[in-house]
Amino acid sequence: MAGPLAPERTPDTTVDEASSLDRPWVTIVWNDPVNLMTYVTFVLQELFGYDEPTATTLMLQVHHEGKAIVSSGPRERMEHDTSRLHAYGLWASFQRDS
Amino acid sequence: MKAFRFRHGDVVGGLDPAEVSVVGLLLDQLEMLLEADPDDVAGDAVLERLLPPGHRSDAEAAADYRDLTEASLRSAKADDLAMMRASLPDGGGELRLDADQAAAWLRTTNDLRLALGTRLEITEDTEPPDEFAGEEDQQLAVYYWLTALQGSLVDALADGRAARK
Repeated sequence: MAGPLAPERTPDTTVDEASSLDRPWVTIVWNDPVNLMTYVTFVLQELFGYDEPTATTLMLQVHHEGKAIVSSGPRERMEHDTSRLHAYGLWASFQRDS
Repeated sequence: MKAFRFRHGDVVGGLDPAEVSVVGLLLDQLEMLLEADPDDVAGDAVLERLLPPGHRSDAEAAADYRDLTEASLRSAKADDLAMMRASLPDGGGELRLDADQAAAWLRTTNDLRLALGTRLEITEDTEPPDEFAGEEDQQLAVYYWLTALQGSLVDALADGRAARK
């Protein structure tokens, strides 16, 4: 699979374009042995509004590569996205984009 | 267990009496863990998995994140747990869940699987037990039963989402 896939911003993660460029932070979902693949795909659709093919691609990236970037934007928004993923039990964290 | 299906806007399924008892016990255990005195459960692997650090390498960022989010994550988990418990069919029987109840079941069954999976040190190579030689085999069987339950719930909710399009 090609490099990290940073999806387009979504209704829930709409950010000011300039501040997004100024503050490149990302939310990452990490692979774990418990969460079902169908569940991860479902949650990514539910929280970020991704269509099924996009959510499936991200889920497979988590599964095969160990992690995937699921959203990007300012730090505060990434903390919020991380907490929404934690509410669903996904193994997520935020960090400055590398 | 009667696998979940999407029917007329609701998610329907069924549990037999023994299954309702097991789920009730698991919910009690999860609730005790979430309500425990933090000093008594410091470093607990299950809590660490249910409320993981928000940042993996910056301890200060992780602490800030915890201050910001942990209370609301805990209260959301408690609300979900209470909603799932209230919708369990007393003594077994048919289940009919509206959207909010189904979402609470989805998140809570996942937390139960995370809790059991962490305690049992599940890996991607772990397989269902062939025999029931001890308590761990029984817990593993419960884990896989929960996996089937949650899998059918995800499928039913995905069908519901497709039907709305």
